[in-house]
Amino acid sequence: MAGIKDLGVGIGWRSEIDLTVERLPGVDFVEVVAENLHIGHLPESVTLLLERGVPVLPHAVSLSLGGAEEVDLHRVEHLGAVAEAVGAPMVSDHVCFVRAGGLDSGHLMPVPRTRDALDVLVANVKLAQRNLPVPLALENVAALLEWPDGELSEGQFLAELVERTDCWLLVDVANLYANARNIGTDPERFLDEIPLERLAYVHVAGGEQHGDIYHDTHAHAVLPEVLGVLDELCSRVAPPGVLLERDDNYPSDTEIADELAAIRAVVDKHRG
Amino acid sequence: MATPTTARGTRLSPEEIGFLTAGPGRAAEAALARLLDAGLIRVSRDGLVSAVHQNGHGATTPIEARILTQLRKPVPFSAVVRNTANSAEMRALQQDLRGRRLTRSPRPRLGAWWVFLVIGSFLALAAITEPWLLIGTAGFLVFAWWSFGAKPLTRAGRAALEGVTTSDRVLAVALEGFRGKISGRPVADLFGLPQNVVGKLPRKKKRAAGSAAASSGGCGSCGSGCGGSSCGSSSSCSGGSSCGGGGGGCGGGGGGD
Repeated sequence: MAGIKDLGVGIGWRSEIDLTVERLPGVDFVEVVAENLHIGHLPESVTLLLERGVPVLPHAVSLSLGGAEEVDLHRVEHLGAVAEAVGAPMVSDHVCFVRAGGLDSGHLMPVPRTRDALDVLVANVKLAQRNLPVPLALENVAALLEWPDGELSEGQFLAELVERTDCWLLVDVANLYANARNIGTDPERFLDEIPLERLAYVHVAGGEQHGDIYHDTHAHAVLPEVLGVLDELCSRVAPPGVLLERDDNYPSDTEIADELAAIRAVVDKHRG
Repeated sequence: MATPTTARGTRLSPEEIGFLTAGPGRAAEAALARLLDAGLIRVSRDGLVSAVHQNGHGATTPIEARILTQLRKPVPFSAVVRNTANSAEMRALQQDLRGRRLTRSPRPRLGAWWVFLVIGSFLALAAITEPWLLIGTAGFLVFAWWSFGAKPLTRAGRAALEGVTTSDRVLAVALEGFRGKISGRPVADLFGLPQNVVGKLPRKKKRAAGSAAASSGGCGSCGSGCGGSSCGSSSSCSGGSSCGGGGGGCGGGGGGD
């Protein structure tokens, strides 16, 4: 795939807000959580959006590509089947692990940024790519901790991952902001280090500060600071797409429309 | 949301209009419609209703507050209507309307009319051979009239509904219900609700003679006006830019403030 076609501004499709997503003006594409879809009986709303020509991108949360355990190919096959069912140009998951030793974390756990961990991740990503019908994009996660003895920055880690697997990047600017708040990383350095020409699209989401910790909840309003990180990204590259993620505590249609408009304003500012 | 002034100058809320038109279920539907119209609740394609705010924000009546309280977690549409119709807040509305002499006290009713017919016929036939049974027959007829003849609305109640029209989509629900139609257009369409969402609601006939004007003019004849995006997310059709302004437009005749 030479490049990702222009996706525009989109929103994460969730069954709770299906009618809202259908009605919202200016939704150019949507993302669905692949694990929530069943092949053979797609939600009516998703079918309707497809009929309107709205691209639907499957996003996975359970491949655990950063895990030391063997990749569960059933999950990969399901992701691929969802991609084919919705005619998606690509799929995505995260640079993380979600299970180990028979336990599910219920959370996207950061991968140690060591060369050994990168080798494991690269092997898993290549296995997944061989079993997927479309390209794979991988997303940076929000971390509440950093594993000790890291050998690479997050940007360097992802750059090498791209170089060795030819995967695409899904950059979550809210996660960059969260990491800056919680573990002191530098979003600008991250953006300097990653290969922006491999950017598939961007996630934007809201969160909330609890004490000393910023929680990337996807259940609160998008902070201006997160839009600031998006602005920084857009000053370097025109992202093929930007998507608002909202997973709970859904605000009114008007508020969601306002958040999409704010995202679009940032993107358009740099497109002149 | 407009509070229509009726022909007699009575101000009725959509809930009250719904109640007077078709009882507590319709009042519950009208309250839901008002909350939907104000963007305070959300309905999904699978018929689950949830509150947009978790703190009951935006409720203007006790019934609306009751609905928002139960919607902190998604609840099926028909269950919201049923629960609300059976709530203490709805009974309070019923008592209020009775106190304002718009409705009568309910009387014990036998649902099966044919039971009256059978007993009446039996008494009438028996009176041919036993004339004294004529007294019993007459007494039974009086009882039957008392039981069936009582309309739930008083004259004042019927008068209060005169002039109330489907001038906006909330009033359309109050008068016709989500399953009703206005000028051939399903009322649910005015809110963008799929038919499967409202399909489990009971169909109920209007009980008030005074609402004969309900379907004239109003939302249905406005075409895309009342239910479409032009009015949909704003407070109501009567206040929207595309519907309420002109005399010939949707909502021009129904009054409102």
